[in-house]
Amino acid sequence: MTDTETVETTETTETVEKVEKVEKLIQPDLQFAKDVVAAGGDSLKKCYQCATCTVVCNVTPEDNPFPRKEMVQAQWGLKDELYSNPDIWLCHQCSDCTAYCPRGAKPGEVLGAIRKMSLQEFATPSILSKLVGSPSGLLVLLALPVVILLGLISAFGNFPSKLPLGDEIVYAEFAPTLLAIDLPFTIAFFFALAMFFLGIKNYWGAMAEGKKLSGSVIASIKGVIVEILTHTRFDKCDLIPKRKISHMLLLYSFLILAVATGIGFAREWGHLLGMELEHPLYIPMKILGNIGAVALLLGLAIVITNRFAKAAQLGLGSYFDWLLILVISTVAVTGTMAELLRIGNYAPVAYWVYFIHLVSVFFLFAYAPYSKMAHMLYRATAMVFSKMTGRNGA
Amino acid sequence: MAEQRVLVIGGGISGLTAALEAAEAGYEVHLVEKNHYLGGRVAQLNKYFPKLCPPVCGLEMNFRRLKENPRIKFYTMSEVAGISGSEGDFEVDVKVNPRFVNDRCTGCNACTEACPAERPNDFNFGMDTTKSAYLPFEQAFPFKYVIDAGNCSKDCGQACKAACKYKAIDLDMKAETLKLKVGSIVTATGWDLYDTSKVDTLGGGKARNAITNMQMERLAAVNGPTGGKIQRPSDGKEPKKVAFVQCAGSRDENHLAHCSYICCMASLKQATYLREQYEDSEVEIFYIDIRTPGRYEQFYWKVRDDEKVTLTKGKVAAITEDASTGDVTVEYEDVLAGKKQKKTFDMVVLAAGMQPSTKDSAIPGISLTPEGFVQPSALKAGISAVGSTKSPVDVQRSVQDATGAALKSIQTLVRR
Repeated sequence: MTDTETVETTETTETVEKVEKVEKLIQPDLQFAKDVVAAGGDSLKKCYQCATCTVVCNVTPEDNPFPRKEMVQAQWGLKDELYSNPDIWLCHQCSDCTAYCPRGAKPGEVLGAIRKMSLQEFATPSILSKLVGSPSGLLVLLALPVVILLGLISAFGNFPSKLPLGDEIVYAEFAPTLLAIDLPFTIAFFFALAMFFLGIKNYWGAMAEGKKLSGSVIASIKGVIVEILTHTRFDKCDLIPKRKISHMLLLYSFLILAVATGIGFAREWGHLLGMELEHPLYIPMKILGNIGAVALLLGLAIVITNRFAKAAQLGLGSYFDWLLILVISTVAVTGTMAELLRIGNYAPVAYWVYFIHLVSVFFLFAYAPYSKMAHMLYRATAMVFSKMTGRNGA
Repeated sequence: MAEQRVLVIGGGISGLTAALEAAEAGYEVHLVEKNHYLGGRVAQLNKYFPKLCPPVCGLEMNFRRLKENPRIKFYTMSEVAGISGSEGDFEVDVKVNPRFVNDRCTGCNACTEACPAERPNDFNFGMDTTKSAYLPFEQAFPFKYVIDAGNCSKDCGQACKAACKYKAIDLDMKAETLKLKVGSIVTATGWDLYDTSKVDTLGGGKARNAITNMQMERLAAVNGPTGGKIQRPSDGKEPKKVAFVQCAGSRDENHLAHCSYICCMASLKQATYLREQYEDSEVEIFYIDIRTPGRYEQFYWKVRDDEKVTLTKGKVAAITEDASTGDVTVEYEDVLAGKKQKKTFDMVVLAAGMQPSTKDSAIPGISLTPEGFVQPSALKAGISAVGSTKSPVDVQRSVQDATGAALKSIQTLVRR
């Protein structure tokens, strides 16, 4: 073989590779574009790639910026391109892009829809993703905790008709703590944890494939945690009033309520081991719980008001968004009401409000890996990954 | 018997053409113009397509046709206040505003010299001022001065009057309403430049050296505020590095939902103004799509091939000014490179779009589209619309359209 021939062979191989790459690029997955539209990105096809969105976006890195790139990738059905990098999650949906979009293409809403599809693709088992993803699955999802809790209450607790009315309300007599609460909720919690682990592992795998990671994981995670706790990225959102405040209220109320729950759990086990305990309102657990509840309600009120106030300009949001808002609202409202009804000793309603509270908490926990709740881990993962790949602006 | 007369609303290139074509075919024409001169937007251009000649060449010829034709009666400073009746038998109320200068004006300039007050010069888009008694530009037709009463206190008017030895100034002129009987109507009300200060993403009008494309026309025009020397407004510096920002308001549902059709050609043309004036100048045009319909494509190739002209795909969505130097920084995504960038220029030209004049001043009884254009399909029988009244369009197509509308309006008269 002569040198010339070698060169020619190499060139041919390169050309073939190039052609394959191009073919892959222009091979549209039309179904994917349709799915994005169905998932709430119905404005996707209006985009004409002017890049106003990228310029008005304050959270994008300058190199390979978003969201214009994501809009064309979605139109062309380049699903893998969208799912295998951190960008869709670096977007915090400030919606400045949506407000300034000259075509009403609503990049903020489209990226929200893509995020939903992405996390549901990585989450497992996929049947739960499907059920959480559309209104048709709602009844099945609700039936599960209702049946489980009713079963446990009828086996181990007492229905309100059997409880002495007029006396003090003790929810533990209705739903016994150990068997009707701890048992199902601990299982739901660990199930969610395990499924989160699998989903995030899939996502990380898709991102990391063929990429060079640098920097320490621990330092990156630390940095991300600080960013999340201080909500610095939300400072860059120009348009939605008090978005930082409302989201921080939600985050911190969840943290506070988690601590209160932890204390409750410890106290309960102390009780089981023979300690005599009372739960007056001034103990730390109750104080924290009540502060958490107020913060949660306030945060939700701002979120919901903003959604409606800005609906014409930014879109009302998708089913996926509202499912989470409604579930958290139900948790917060029934939780607060259950406490007030107990203090007011209004038994006829109290037990059933408490029951709805239990169902909604179960819903929130067990389905977290498939609902918008999962954004906390996917976004955090994307932020860690972007730090480790030196994605600037991150 | 139908009224054997045509009313043309608007005395720009479209309305002038329609009026002349109908008159030269032998019909009586009333021409109503809001400004105190004829020629409309074309009069403000430095050069226009397709021949890139100055407006004098096209307007001069039309003014001559008009002067020679006794069948046209034109009213400046006039607006249509109401249209009643139907095809063949319209009655139109026309409000004629006072000019404060009568037909005895010889254009001697004495009133301007004597006038103590000044006004912002709207003909030059506010880049300079004129006296409150003035002639908008040298070739103005009718060649008659005007007094801007809003910017002329009582003493100012008296000073002008005293200076006029021809008794041409009449400060007691009042607005009057005429009733015109016509058989058919042509609307040719044209366009206004979109107010780019409404566009947040283009700096909201705060950067002094971010001018509009029409200001650029005036800067380049020999009869403009700088005598044709392109210099930036803040300090008169020769701009050597200039950005053109396309779709400044156009193709944007928050501003003008339509494509304004001519702005790409305008920017390419203005790039040549700059390149011809300053050999060492550099131009960068930021676009979504370069739209150069039909044979205009060849002009696009010519400008594109100038190595000092760069075309960058990516809409500018932030403009800031360096207060000390007056330089203007634009922010954009270079779409083909996938990079979000900032670049600083001596001057920025905003390719502002066409807003139909009917958007702000509708003609009573004429239906409009949501954007404010005249809706041709909703026009009453006997009324036709021309040129940029219906949709953004260039001069040559406006003129062709006007000739067609003249024929239509004549058919209305003849049919009955």
